[in-house]
Amino acid sequence: MRAGLAPEWLAALQSGFGAVLRTPLDRSTGTLRATLSAYDPGTLGEILDGPHGRAAEHLAVYNRQYWFRLFGVFQTAFPLTSRLFGHWHFNGHVTRFLLAHPPGHWDLDRAPDGFEAFLADAIGDAAHREALLDAARLDVTWRALFRAPSTAPFRPRAEDAPRLLDSRLVPSPSVAVVVDRWALLELKSSLAGSGGESAVPLPSALEEPRCWALAREAGGIRHLALAPREAELLLLLRRHTIRDALAALESACPEPERAALPEQAQRWLARSVERGFWAGLTSEGEGQGTTQV
Amino acid sequence: MSERSIPRDALGLGLRPAHYPYLFEHWPEVGYFEVISENFLGDAPPPRARLAAVSARYPVVLHGVGLNLLGHAELDDDYLDSLCRLADRVDAPFVTDHLCWTGAHGVSHHDLLPVPYVPELVELAAERAYRVQRRLGRPFGIENLSSYVGFRRSTMTEWDFYAAVVRESGCWFMLDVNNIYVSSQNHGFDPLEYLRAIDFSRVLQVHLAGHTREPDGTLVDTHDHPVSSAVWSLYAQAWKQGGPFPTLLEWDERVPPMPEVLAELAKAKGARA
Repeated sequence: MRAGLAPEWLAALQSGFGAVLRTPLDRSTGTLRATLSAYDPGTLGEILDGPHGRAAEHLAVYNRQYWFRLFGVFQTAFPLTSRLFGHWHFNGHVTRFLLAHPPGHWDLDRAPDGFEAFLADAIGDAAHREALLDAARLDVTWRALFRAPSTAPFRPRAEDAPRLLDSRLVPSPSVAVVVDRWALLELKSSLAGSGGESAVPLPSALEEPRCWALAREAGGIRHLALAPREAELLLLLRRHTIRDALAALESACPEPERAALPEQAQRWLARSVERGFWAGLTSEGEGQGTTQV
Repeated sequence: MSERSIPRDALGLGLRPAHYPYLFEHWPEVGYFEVISENFLGDAPPPRARLAAVSARYPVVLHGVGLNLLGHAELDDDYLDSLCRLADRVDAPFVTDHLCWTGAHGVSHHDLLPVPYVPELVELAAERAYRVQRRLGRPFGIENLSSYVGFRRSTMTEWDFYAAVVRESGCWFMLDVNNIYVSSQNHGFDPLEYLRAIDFSRVLQVHLAGHTREPDGTLVDTHDHPVSSAVWSLYAQAWKQGGPFPTLLEWDERVPPMPEVLAELAKAKGARA
């Protein structure tokens, strides 16, 4: 059997058909409708009229399916963000994103990659911009934790002791530290599985940010409350050697807290190791920062 | 070649996330499960762990939606490598995908899109399907589509096109009787004529599913309803003509509790009588 090359006409047909599929749905009436008049005449000329309508009406089935499938994927990937916008407005942003960045990979779950950055430009100086972007970052962090590879937790051995202070802890890819300024994590949890589409009110800014560790476990993603200084330490440990992180923490600490800090820091460090927040120890230089919400 | 086998009259279910809580608590009696390949091709550990738990207890077959057999571009080697690894991991008795295109010119539309039925594309699909089956090292079944458009360029019926691709590729039919019914209503052909074109000795599996009728009369393959009586009748005819064959129920949207889905699947036994 000889290797088959697709005929040229197939490439042209698929190009035109694809353009029809990606034709944005009309939002002007308050519902999403296929705009049949926008379909490429050349593609329409390839399609037969059928028992239930003309060629354009048949193509509209695929046009609607393309958009509604992707709206669903984005709403699943950004459950908190989509409810803060409300699905109608969120879908408008998704439409603009997909017109600029149509999915290019067979993995449907990759279609929303890059949407968070797009949103940062798209919403400009809108009211509540910071809360909306924090929500998008929280959704992105959640997805990243879900997809992160499994790693064995770092358990220090006796021979690690001499180099421990001048080494950097390697963060587990299935753990993130988030600093929440709007109680978004609680809102995200309360919305899980609620199934609504309308916009939910934006929470008010918290007087003091709340700090969390998000950790993927067998039963799902668990969030663990952190003291603000503990979160600060975990973030420093991701970027610096243990010695430098402890020093930086101490120098940023107000005088009244400083006396108790060394003991607390040791306790936080030990607890983070017990909880499996680290995947190893490295003598390499500066590490990467982490997503903060 | 898989060490696992599925009895010729087995009843299977398309495994969806909605089933996990019930499944992992009750481990009900099911002949086999079919999973959507693409949901397990990535490295994310949670889906991998769930699949490992399921495949430890049941035979698992793979059903793809992203092969792009009839895209104008060549098959994606990375995708095929991942698919082969997944098939090996679960020791899939067989693997299936669709007689369609899903993307072109660098854009993936994530839909199962039809092509004109012409001999030129029989050659193309058959040659590619042959290569897929050889690379998988296990039977590869090709599924017929539900479709909503017909092409002026077509010079063959869908069933002649489908049968020719299966015959020339040496692959297998993954025959979806709901899709036959949906397309027959959308294009105005006799579904029994379609069935008569099928060589049932080459049927790897039959799919059942529900569909939705749109206000204009178009049937859409939504997999969100019980199987319609018309599709059960067609299934009974297929069984009479060529049974036994493994039969699998797909229910993807508005999925009811798993016992209800299994009860729907069990109706297949009655349809065979």
